[in-house]
Amino acid sequence: MEADTVKMAEQKSPSALNILLRELYRDKLALVSLIFVLLITSFVFGVSIFLNQDEIVTVDLFSINAPPSDQFILGTDYGGRDVFGQLIIGTRNSLAIGILVTLISGIFGVAYGVVSGYFGGHIDNVLMRVIDFFMVLPFLMIIIVFVSMTPSYSVISFSLIMATFSWMGIARLIRSKALQEKELDYAQASKTLGTSRFNIIFKQVLPNITSLIIVTMTLNLAANIGLESGLSFLGFGFPEDTPSLGTLLSYARNPQTLEFRWWIWAPAAILILLLMLSVRNVGEALRRAADARQRRG
Amino acid sequence: MAFLEVKDLQVYFPVKGGIFNRTVDHIKAVDGVSFEMEQGKTYGLVGESGSGKSTTGRAIIGLEEITSGQVLFDGKDITDKKTKNKAFRKDVQMIFQDPYSSLNPRKRVLDIVAEPLRNFEKLSKFEERKRVQELLDIVNVSPDSIFKYPHEFSGGQRQRIGVARAIALKPKLIIADEPVSALDVSVQAQVLNFLQEIQKELNLTYLFISHDLGVVKHMCDNISIMYKGRYVEQGSTKDIFENPQHIYTKRLIAAIPDINPRNREKQFEFRKEVADEYRKSFNHYFDSNGLAFALQSISDTHKVALPEKG
Amino acid sequence: MWKFIVRRLLITFPQIVFLSVLVFVMAQFMPGDALTGLIDPNVSPEALEIQRERLGLNNPWYVQYGDWVGGLVQGDLGQSFRFKMDVTALISERVMNTILLSAVSLFFTYIIAIPLGIVSGRYNDSPLDSFITGYSYLGFATPIFIFALVMLWVFGFILGWFPTSGSVAPGLDAGTVEYYISKLYHSLLPGLSIALISVVSTIQYLRSEIVDTKQRDFIVTARAKGASENRVYNKHIFRNSLLPIAAFFGWEITSLISGTVFVESVFSYPGMGLLFLESVTQRDFSVVTALVLLFGIASILGALLSDIILSIVDPRIRIK
Repeated sequence: MEADTVKMAEQKSPSALNILLRELYRDKLALVSLIFVLLITSFVFGVSIFLNQDEIVTVDLFSINAPPSDQFILGTDYGGRDVFGQLIIGTRNSLAIGILVTLISGIFGVAYGVVSGYFGGHIDNVLMRVIDFFMVLPFLMIIIVFVSMTPSYSVISFSLIMATFSWMGIARLIRSKALQEKELDYAQASKTLGTSRFNIIFKQVLPNITSLIIVTMTLNLAANIGLESGLSFLGFGFPEDTPSLGTLLSYARNPQTLEFRWWIWAPAAILILLLMLSVRNVGEALRRAADARQRRG
Repeated sequence: MAFLEVKDLQVYFPVKGGIFNRTVDHIKAVDGVSFEMEQGKTYGLVGESGSGKSTTGRAIIGLEEITSGQVLFDGKDITDKKTKNKAFRKDVQMIFQDPYSSLNPRKRVLDIVAEPLRNFEKLSKFEERKRVQELLDIVNVSPDSIFKYPHEFSGGQRQRIGVARAIALKPKLIIADEPVSALDVSVQAQVLNFLQEIQKELNLTYLFISHDLGVVKHMCDNISIMYKGRYVEQGSTKDIFENPQHIYTKRLIAAIPDINPRNREKQFEFRKEVADEYRKSFNHYFDSNGLAFALQSISDTHKVALPEKG
Repeated sequence: MWKFIVRRLLITFPQIVFLSVLVFVMAQFMPGDALTGLIDPNVSPEALEIQRERLGLNNPWYVQYGDWVGGLVQGDLGQSFRFKMDVTALISERVMNTILLSAVSLFFTYIIAIPLGIVSGRYNDSPLDSFITGYSYLGFATPIFIFALVMLWVFGFILGWFPTSGSVAPGLDAGTVEYYISKLYHSLLPGLSIALISVVSTIQYLRSEIVDTKQRDFIVTARAKGASENRVYNKHIFRNSLLPIAAFFGWEITSLISGTVFVESVFSYPGMGLLFLESVTQRDFSVVTALVLLFGIASILGALLSDIILSIVDPRIRIK
């Protein structure tokens, strides 16, 4: 075991992703979580190709609120729509928007944080005040207001609104890391070697914080899936003809549904929980791996 | 005309305070330092930690902002950030103290050594690799290891990779900031000798910053002693070691360990003497703020910070 | 220290100004204006125009902004067209419910989190600690609305231990003892739902703080001096760890706000969160802007409060 790791260290390049994946492999719970997430993702994206979304969201008055049966594995909702089909499409939509929002806010936040941390001084001061301001906003309410005001509301505008209010955390984290990194000799050395600021930031410093970025984005993905389903639950997420996991849950705001028709909302609730838990598991394991790697130097 | 000329260099760090975070005070890291360097020689800059020796080196190459004063390189004024143009960047390089943090851990040796080449010369992939291998050969690192990462090397090897990077552009001046103090003693001599070899080959000029007088004695033609941001004594290696004038220099030299155990008693007595003298004559050698006076020439090569006569 | 407080206050003021500008701009983009709800549809366009002129709705935006802020300072938040009443009056009807809910959930949060965090930190790596850590791990991943739904389903509907909606049983007279008991009773389940989720961060903080402090030199010294284990914990460790938790109170406000929005929606609990959601849905925008502004100011002041308390408790954050 010991000899194996030494050998691997010699052969493999210490690319951030490689090390993280190797550590992940050792952490069984995280590995199971990762496999679960990958299975669910490929399943819902695969199956939803064969599902007709229009057909699923079409109201069928002859089978309203049907309990699980052979025809409808998970029954139907108040519009007689197949819950199982909605669950698959909903999971796909929730995952897709979670990933999209995480990428948008992540890329923006990383760029913002790296610039702020690397340049420091007045630029940093101003950029940090902006973040401070965004952080104290009651962002949930403002997102809801934006969602209800946007004229031609679509999935894209929804994810942009969500991203607008979820880039600050990663920006802050990356900024403080960049602040540390730029004081290290290798960044100073690049300066004396005539490397441009842009290249120092994005080619020298950035590769050294990739593991932090990967970890944070994974954890953000879990948070964004939760935020999206929460907004959809309140009725300010996807429109009803584009079901998400939150949409299914929102049916439970009707006390009748909550009390007597568990099949409509419980599977979605469990799925959201499992997804968030698994993604977080993966993220936490990656974080432990990244920390351990830093300790080793 | 001197090769590098530093005139009354001052580097102050602001101390922030108050409600609006205004600058309320300064730490005078470098407080009026002047010296000249000739090409092909090695100049030692010695002092305790916090004396401003590293800051002086870093200010010359542009890693610290210069508060006031002037730096002339090859007759050209390069004091301001904007005047540190490409030619200057190419001619002046730096070797860092810590070989573990001065090489980017995410880059292969090839990328590390080629970084300056990519900035200044347009080489094909093949030419670039060839140049890197030549450079590694010069610093006695196996040219086969260009695809390895820094963590796969020992401290001494890493420092030599750092040197390879510094000499890639054939610079004229190298500022070596404690280049061996992070290394094991056994490796120190190896790196130092090697620095001397490439100096002859490439006609390099070194500004050698160190707290270790023994190393400096071995390396340098000319030595300056720094204390609290000012020079206290400056002279040829012979001047400093055989005829130290300033009490601070004397004390530093007395502190060099003697390897002969029979001299231990004598050495101890000598140190005590110097320490006593230091205490007694402190006010004679330092002004009321405990800082050194301006330098006075006592011979062609030798300058000491003494109070003006009269 | 006063320097830090003054500097912190100086940051707060522009934050509130920016917030008000943001809310004002948001309000400008919302359809309709102060007259939309008030006016009888039979009034002629000319009369409407006169009214608009009189109310200053044709003025340039900065004049309108000034008028708006002037109104705010005097407690005039505009008119709700849905309820045909002053927004100020409307909100003050609801605000007590939300404050009660927040107080109940804060109470439960601390009463649950502190003992669990202490046990978990003191006996770290024991089975009990693993259980508590496992719980907080789950809690971190659980969205509050799902948890609230399950709580409502289990304890409200299946077991029937708690009321399933509203803030007070109908038919009770305000001011009677039964009325207050019923109010409290209605806030228990929603409050507990928030608390059981929000405890996790406090538990984790307390645990890591205690585990950390345990290894510190001064604790080792205290032990070496022969102080009993209980004394070490009571005198040295808790004092170090508990004060910052008190200081987190202000920051909790921000998360409490989003918590109440979800939980009030799940439990149909008539507080400000539910009022906000209803008003957005019904496009009663003067209420919406007022609530965003109020909640925003509450979070800004909460953060201010926390920063100040923490600067008193922990001198390290004063640097910079």
